[in-house]
Amino acid sequence: MTVRVNISLSPTAEDGTTFPPQLAQFGTEGLVLIELQGKLDVVGDNRGQLIGTLRIDDATKKPTLLIGHHLLEGKLVNLQKPLAVLHRHTASSSEGGSGYKLNTSADGSPLPRADQSVSWDVIAVVKRKMVFSRRPMPMVGKVSAPVSKGGTKVK
Amino acid sequence: MSEFALKFSHSATADTGAFKLLELPSDLSKLIESNIDSPPRHALTIKGNPDDDAVLCTADKTYTIRSVVLSNSVIVATPGEDGSFSTDGVPIGSVNVRDQLNEILELVPSIPRLHKLDALLRGKEYEGQEDDDDMYADDPANGDGKFTYEEARETLQASDDEMDRGLKKRRVLIISGELRPIAPSYLNAILELLLTHLVSLSLKYDSAPVDALCSALEDGYDVRRDVCKQVMAWFGDIIAGEWCMDKTAVVREVGLGLLRPYRDESVPLSDFLVKWRKSVGDTFEPEVSLDLLSGNHLSQIDALKEPPITVLTYFPSSQLPIDPAARFTDLFLTRPRWKADEIAPFLADIVVDAKERDKLLLKYTRAVTDAEGVWYTARAKYNG
Repeated sequence: MTVRVNISLSPTAEDGTTFPPQLAQFGTEGLVLIELQGKLDVVGDNRGQLIGTLRIDDATKKPTLLIGHHLLEGKLVNLQKPLAVLHRHTASSSEGGSGYKLNTSADGSPLPRADQSVSWDVIAVVKRKMVFSRRPMPMVGKVSAPVSKGGTKVK
Repeated sequence: MSEFALKFSHSATADTGAFKLLELPSDLSKLIESNIDSPPRHALTIKGNPDDDAVLCTADKTYTIRSVVLSNSVIVATPGEDGSFSTDGVPIGSVNVRDQLNEILELVPSIPRLHKLDALLRGKEYEGQEDDDDMYADDPANGDGKFTYEEARETLQASDDEMDRGLKKRRVLIISGELRPIAPSYLNAILELLLTHLVSLSLKYDSAPVDALCSALEDGYDVRRDVCKQVMAWFGDIIAGEWCMDKTAVVREVGLGLLRPYRDESVPLSDFLVKWRKSVGDTFEPEVSLDLLSGNHLSQIDALKEPPITVLTYFPSSQLPIDPAARFTDLFLTRPRWKADEIAPFLADIVVDAKERDKLLLKYTRAVTDAEGVWYTARAKYNG
């Protein structure tokens, strides 16, 4: 079976919104990759839930991410090889009919039904990523205060 | 200081698993970026049956897809709807987390996987005008067995260009959309007819009118017009109704045809060359050279004859196993030791470049140097 991968690069996200330049410098105007150690684990429905606050220092361009009482310091990393971001594109099921001729292969054995309705789009090619590689620092007290440099780090 | 609210997107359920990261080799990234301005000329295709390793095909290249697991997770983030709220009076934007990924897909250049073609086309040889045209096509048992060009594109893990080249190299005809490899004897017959007609019609080999040749072969020898045309296209270029023959390719194919019967017994080199020169005729005689048949023959010295002479046997690399280990086993069963330039032609079709070939040689052979140069012998096997 074959799966088509269409190239539909557009500088913006699907709905036409773009990142402001401070964020776009970490990826493209429509998409940024953020690398974390571990993963974001959410119990229950996570739709629309707030994770934390991402700050970017305009002068030093250092990103910080505050999740609850944990502060992560990040940096900009240039990728050795660019990454294409693929997004699954599911067409309406009415288009699936064209897959019928593939139902049998040359030797007459049944092939798994090729699902023509699934294709992937290359929505962006990114050359940088935002990496939070350090352990989080605990923040006590005024959470909303700007982060002072050189705070104690947790080993 | 810019501030953004990092949120899970509202479509998080639908988005999970809907993103993949694909590492792009430089040539592919250029290809994709060149598509930004112009409408996409070629889309990429991922091909493979459920039991194959998937490959990614561009218009002219094939890459194997490998999944690399990351210990970190990568968040795909897109701009969110305008964060209208503010914490301390500063308006902040929002960033949507669409998906978390733990793997990257890596691409490794690969040779086109056309080897299945041989099995799929077995028993479908075309040997000339078939009275059975009706029999072959109408027989329901055979009707199912038809293997069309479109099916080949769906099944084979190769880019379109590579597949077309592979079909050409295997001498596969497309007759009414169906793939039919041409029988070697029939191909040789057509080529010899073409050569003789070029001479008898006193046409120039680099600008011969296609129609005249096709008609001559159709009227005199019942060669189908479309077959004749495809054969001509394999061995040259058809430009504006004129055939510019690739004389080297024709001479090579005729030579192959002559060598093919000598699979089990050998033929003295000198006899073979005489026969070959005679078949191609005076005009093309200078093209005859044993180098054309590299990867298809073995030559050795028959020391029993007096004086010793060089003899040839037919040994096509296309019929050797694809798996490197099996191929080396086969090669070393045929000969216990090989010179580097002798073994190279028999590896050319399973490697992308010379570097990969040397890697295989390093892995599967032992190099021994003596006065005559480097010899490759089989690695000792200790697996019982």
